[in-house]
Amino acid sequence: MPEGTVHEAEVHAVLSARSKPRSNGTIKKKVVGLSAALVIALVLPQVVTNTYWLGLLNFLIIYSILCLSLNLILGFTGLLSLGHAAFYGIGAYTTAILMTRYHVGFLPAMLASAMLALVFSLFLGIPASKVRGDYFTLLTIAFGEIFRLIAQAWIGFTGGAMGIVGIPIPKVFGMPIRTETQFYYLGLILLAITFVCLTIIVQSRIGRALIAIREDELAAKSMGINTPWYIIMAFTIGSFFAAVAGSFLAVYQTTVTPSNFRLEESCLMIIMVIVGGMGNLWAPLAGVLIMTLATEMFRSLAEYRMLIIGGIMMLVLLFRPQGIFGSSAFKD
Amino acid sequence: MGLLETRNLVKSFGGVMAINDITLDLEEGDILGVIGPNGSGKSTFINLLTGIYRPDQGAIRFGGHDITGLPAHQVTRRGIARTFQNLRVFSNVSVLVNILIGQHTQIQNRLYHLFLTPLAARKREKAAEKKALGLLKMANLADRRDELAKSLPYGEQRLLEICRALASNPRLLMLDEPCAGMNPNEMDTLADFIRELRAKGHTILIIEHNMPFIMSLADRIVVLDAGRKFKDGPPEQIQNDPEVQDIYLGKEDDI
Ligand SMILES: Nc1ncnc2c1ncn2[C@@H]1O[C@H](COP(=O)(O)OP(=O)(O)OP(=O)(O)O)[C@@H](O)[C@H]1O
Ligand SMILES: [Mg+2]
Repeated sequence: MPEGTVHEAEVHAVLSARSKPRSNGTIKKKVVGLSAALVIALVLPQVVTNTYWLGLLNFLIIYSILCLSLNLILGFTGLLSLGHAAFYGIGAYTTAILMTRYHVGFLPAMLASAMLALVFSLFLGIPASKVRGDYFTLLTIAFGEIFRLIAQAWIGFTGGAMGIVGIPIPKVFGMPIRTETQFYYLGLILLAITFVCLTIIVQSRIGRALIAIREDELAAKSMGINTPWYIIMAFTIGSFFAAVAGSFLAVYQTTVTPSNFRLEESCLMIIMVIVGGMGNLWAPLAGVLIMTLATEMFRSLAEYRMLIIGGIMMLVLLFRPQGIFGSSAFKD
Repeated sequence: MGLLETRNLVKSFGGVMAINDITLDLEEGDILGVIGPNGSGKSTFINLLTGIYRPDQGAIRFGGHDITGLPAHQVTRRGIARTFQNLRVFSNVSVLVNILIGQHTQIQNRLYHLFLTPLAARKREKAAEKKALGLLKMANLADRRDELAKSLPYGEQRLLEICRALASNPRLLMLDEPCAGMNPNEMDTLADFIRELRAKGHTILIIEHNMPFIMSLADRIVVLDAGRKFKDGPPEQIQNDPEVQDIYLGKEDDI
């Protein structure tokens, strides 16, 4: 039986001869890179004290959480979802409504928001996992539009176009979060949790199943992968973290309006992921940084915002189709 | 009782009877060669056995269980693995990850394991990696573990695809034209590899057009013609059968 095909001694020889030093080297590099990033992130608010820049950093954090989670769906599983902003919005509105009308604390409200997004993504994911390609994308667009229309039209519940205002100051384990710096650290913790959870998933058998689906769905099935199940899994986990970002947005902005969650937002997230690079978990962060800074730099040219975003994306697609740090091109 | 039994399998596409009433038994440890002219239904036969297509009629039993109509991923869990006629490795991931994906059914980690028992989950991953390296070593691919699958030469990609199928620890391995597009050197390597698998007791079904290759490897040959089982016998008998030569020649005349 094939059990006998693996000879322990041989494997050991291979492991010690070639691969150990190499993989140790890359692990060391990763540890150094991660620690450096963490140290910089921790001291940043000590250096950047200007509230304008701190505010920008907080939006960077929100988009980072959104794009990391979108990367699981788009970069790893290969599903072009244009509904990410809707799950972001479900998170924001749920937190806003629970905190303002029912006086729920921030952490329970955030958890409830993420769970609600999970339930909605499950409802959408089940039919979506059965249709592929363009139909999947159309379903997510439809979902996003329905969400936005409900947010706009159901005035009694969502506040309509005015949205929900006066979201109370969040307390985390009794500590009120008021200043830009405090929000920054809260956001950083949420980002770190997202990053760690997604890293664990991506580096496991589950992450590899998602990659297999992206690469060749029929071959993936033949490897014993229950493809619809894993598509739903990627979609729900991604949506869960999008709602976490939305929840943070609600307490940070103290208001939520439907315009925060337009289709345009979903497009922007996709562009950030593509520019940063897909397939590598952290690569979209580069896209978040570049696109945010670029749009801020040309703030005075607000009406040309989409033009600038489109221009950057064209340049990247022309000269580096896999994105700046990506490992897989969007379509081979 | 055979490892694999098909009973009166039928599959048609529109008006084309791709598989027409095929009954066939395969014993554990055998290497079965399946030959036949282009379009005779060989690939369709594998696709029926692996759950890619559902038969219109008939039954498939594997290891004593009825697996007729099971979806592909469940068939793989039961112990049937395959390669594809037109190479389908996972191009943009490393050689090692290709094998690890092939081990999907062998690694028990579920989502909750990753977060609730992370150490045990990590251990299972490490064990899988070790096993994967053993497989790659057997195919002389261990040095290329970190290279992207698409960067390997064609013959090695074919070998990788076979290793990926073996990674699921199958009871039955099915290869769809493994020699297609290979040069003579690569074919020799492949033949040696398959002999090694046979020595280890694997049961293998091979579809192949290359006659010397398949005749030297198979214990038994089945000839398909227009979806029907045309002949079934030992290689020497099939090789010298004038009717078998006729169907091949007939087809070549058409072209
Ligand atoms: N998905 C499909 N849809 C329609 N017809 C199909 C399909 N798959 C196979 N066929 C038809 O079924 C018949 C058998 O095809 P099959 O691919 O099984 O032949 P084969 O023996 O593998 O040929 P080859 O040697 O060219 O690989 C052919 O007439 C083919 O056109
Ligand atoms: Mg074929």
